[in-house]
Amino acid sequence: MAEEKVIKPGPAGYIPKPAAFLGVDTPPPGKALLYGEVVDEETAMREAAKAMLTRRNPTIFPGPLVLWGWNSSAIEKAKAVLELASEIPNCRIIPMPDYRPKYPKINPEAEINPNHPNLTILHNRIEACIFVGVHCHYANLSLRMIRAGTNCFTIALCAEMGHEDAMVSLRDVHADDIRRFKDVVVEMRKELGIEWEPKPPPENPSLPKEEWTDVSPLDFGEYAYLLLPRKGEIVEESE
Amino acid sequence: MGLEYVKISPGFERYMPRDYVDLVKMGQFGRQVDVMDLGQFKELVEDHPMCAGCYMAYFIRIFYASLPNPEDTIVLGTAGCARLALSQAAVPFIYGNYGDTNAVASGLKRALTIRFPDKHKDVVVIAGDGGLMDIGFGMTMHSWFRREKFTTIMVDNEVYGNTGGQESGMSPKGVQLKMAPKGKQFDKINAVELAKVAGCVYVAKLSPTNPKRIAKVIRRAILAARHFGPTFIHAYTSCNIEYSIPTREVLADARNREKKDFKFYEWMTDEVKEYFEEMEKKEVKA
Amino acid sequence: MMVEQKVVDPDYLILEAPRERKFITGSQAFAEAIKRANVDIAIAYPITPQSETMHLVGDLWAQGYVKDYYRAEEEYGAMSAIAGAVRGGARAFSATSGPGLLRGLEAIVSWPGHRIPAVLGVMTRVVNAPLSIQPDNVEIAYLLHSGLIVLHAENQQDVFDFTLAGFPISEKVDVYLPVVVATEGFFVTHAKGYVELPPEDMKLPPRDPYKAPVPPTDCEIPPARIQRDAPVQKSNFMSYLIHAVWQQEVWSANERARKWIKHYLGGLIEVVNPKAEVFIVASGCAAAQGREAQRYAEMEGLNVGLVKIKSIRPFPAQELREILKDAKAIIVPEHNIVGWLCKEVKAVIPNGDRVVEGPRVYGGMTLPVELIMDEIYRVLGIKKAKKTLV
Repeated sequence: MAEEKVIKPGPAGYIPKPAAFLGVDTPPPGKALLYGEVVDEETAMREAAKAMLTRRNPTIFPGPLVLWGWNSSAIEKAKAVLELASEIPNCRIIPMPDYRPKYPKINPEAEINPNHPNLTILHNRIEACIFVGVHCHYANLSLRMIRAGTNCFTIALCAEMGHEDAMVSLRDVHADDIRRFKDVVVEMRKELGIEWEPKPPPENPSLPKEEWTDVSPLDFGEYAYLLLPRKGEIVEESE
Repeated sequence: MGLEYVKISPGFERYMPRDYVDLVKMGQFGRQVDVMDLGQFKELVEDHPMCAGCYMAYFIRIFYASLPNPEDTIVLGTAGCARLALSQAAVPFIYGNYGDTNAVASGLKRALTIRFPDKHKDVVVIAGDGGLMDIGFGMTMHSWFRREKFTTIMVDNEVYGNTGGQESGMSPKGVQLKMAPKGKQFDKINAVELAKVAGCVYVAKLSPTNPKRIAKVIRRAILAARHFGPTFIHAYTSCNIEYSIPTREVLADARNREKKDFKFYEWMTDEVKEYFEEMEKKEVKA
Repeated sequence: MMVEQKVVDPDYLILEAPRERKFITGSQAFAEAIKRANVDIAIAYPITPQSETMHLVGDLWAQGYVKDYYRAEEEYGAMSAIAGAVRGGARAFSATSGPGLLRGLEAIVSWPGHRIPAVLGVMTRVVNAPLSIQPDNVEIAYLLHSGLIVLHAENQQDVFDFTLAGFPISEKVDVYLPVVVATEGFFVTHAKGYVELPPEDMKLPPRDPYKAPVPPTDCEIPPARIQRDAPVQKSNFMSYLIHAVWQQEVWSANERARKWIKHYLGGLIEVVNPKAEVFIVASGCAAAQGREAQRYAEMEGLNVGLVKIKSIRPFPAQELREILKDAKAIIVPEHNIVGWLCKEVKAVIPNGDRVVEGPRVYGGMTLPVELIMDEIYRVLGIKKAKKTLV
């Protein structure tokens, strides 16, 4: 019996089948995926723009490939992502700087982690999000967990072949395509009659507010004194 | 390239979590730090789930602070305690299968040599006594026989700590551990002599009591591996849990062992000795 | 010694380039594919009947076609080193057989989860004990539940085509899984057959490790932390779903390989006489014997067809359901005692009692066409005087 292959916001359940098992395939070049169906890029972009403009707490999750300036196209892409973010009302940027399971835990307001993306989504009540610059393997892990456990509308701006488990997936997305999407967002915003002066999203809440120019030993490694006893010092107790 | 991939894209400094910003601004990338300045720069590894008072965790902390070129270093580990901290460090880490480190490192180092013939990409294995001298023994030895150019560091806690305290080939004779209910029946394996006969060009054995010396040994092992062949460090990193060493006595235990069977030992080929002498002469001049 | 080679598009090399017919062994066919595959490193450990293939690949290294090569300490070491080389961004090849495959299995079955694109030749033989080096393909059964892509070559031509196409399939961003090219030891590896080869002065483009769903571990690409081998046991900083979705990703990637197998190899199956009343469904060498049986049957005026399964993983479930929907009987000849292919076929079609379990030979036995013919006669109700085969 064929199962319904509609990929819509969750929560889809305890352990939903991945879209690829349901017969959803990545879009061919020049096309996009919308709820698991192959559509024109324009159609997919409009639906994605609408989600980011109308759903609660829209957020962009940039991954390592745009966060780190490892080549000129990454830097250009990063610029385009910031331009896009400033056009989405009350948009936030929450980065995914790496893929390790981070010990002891992440600060869900400051970052998203592919091993437990739901922490960030649920804590911030994010109902629409964009993944960009995340390696496909890790994006797919996150997209599945998010669809399983949250009601978040996921949009994947993929530089490669796209993602079946996102509600909207574009493929071969580079800086210019992000700007094209930004134009669609602006257009859709006008259509919906939403007033918004472009401005950059608020900065990462984990960053100290003051100018941070020096660092004291107290800032790092609270066990430093334990692990590195000074000459003649006798350590009497540990935690 | 190396350094480029640890620079934040312009404009994103204000969106990165603080620890990453600190890592770039006040970390070790692109500069040499002094291990005695620990606590005054952002370290490559901070939070990790190793036990309180773990001496292996201390050694690993010193290890990361000693890397000659952290942005071009890859660390490999295997099952065991060390990987708990290694997987949290800001240096690429490979976790393969049980005891496979020295085989994976062989393939990796060769691939990097093919792809980047003009660059130094340092490959370092940090695995336990079980990983290197028991389950991975054949692969450890053969990577040395083949003269693979990477560093192997054995963090020897003389027990399978992570699986609940079983005897390993490196446990001392007579010690009662799990799977050795009558006490271990044979001697501790002489890993250092094995390394020498198997073809390592630099071999050191130490109990980590002196951070400056640990740093020097690690640096030497990595630099010698770049140019000459396999290098090996055998470090005593006690398991305070399975050997019931009170946290406050961990350092004293290390000092005690240093006096007994972990007296500092360093051996290298003449070629390597010459290289270090040249290098140190230049450093003095500079 | 080495012919100057120019890089050409994989589609051109595999699908369009002019071909010349050569009469070569299966081992030579593997080597001819490696010669044109722009392989960086090959690592292997000796075992019969694989050894000859890796001798020839060693010669390719000596000639300059392959950049690095060594004889490993044993298979676990060989397969682990392959994983290291591929993480480092290299294109890698290895091969093994029977007990060697099982010795390397822990490493091999971890390749999909570690996202290691490589090609592994499996020249099947008996798995000990008792010891024997003769043909038997029971070892393929051990590969079916790991996420690997498993192609099963019928003859020397398949060996060449599957191996060469294995690299681009394996390295597609949406796949990024290892490809196993299995074939019967001796029957294919040590026997000669005609193989149509594209020119030897052409090769695949080099691997681009940055076009990938996981970063290579080469300190050239972010993130500067654990990148692809996260140990993810359940804990308070990982989701209960993390390992489950990881496994789903491996098997989703396996699904996505279908379109590339169709693209490069013309489909997951090949069908002879699609309107047949009785089908022989077979893979590898058994398909060659099935092909002969189908020809005999046709000469006798019997309506018999052949379905050759090229790809065991992903498995052509839909294709089989479609082609076998009106079949009266389905004969599954195999070179092993467990009947792994028979079980696979039964599991995906309705009315499994149509499937004849066999004929099966193993332990080094050949598969005479007459054995398949006997089953054809039996299911068609044709009485023949029984011939004794010795």
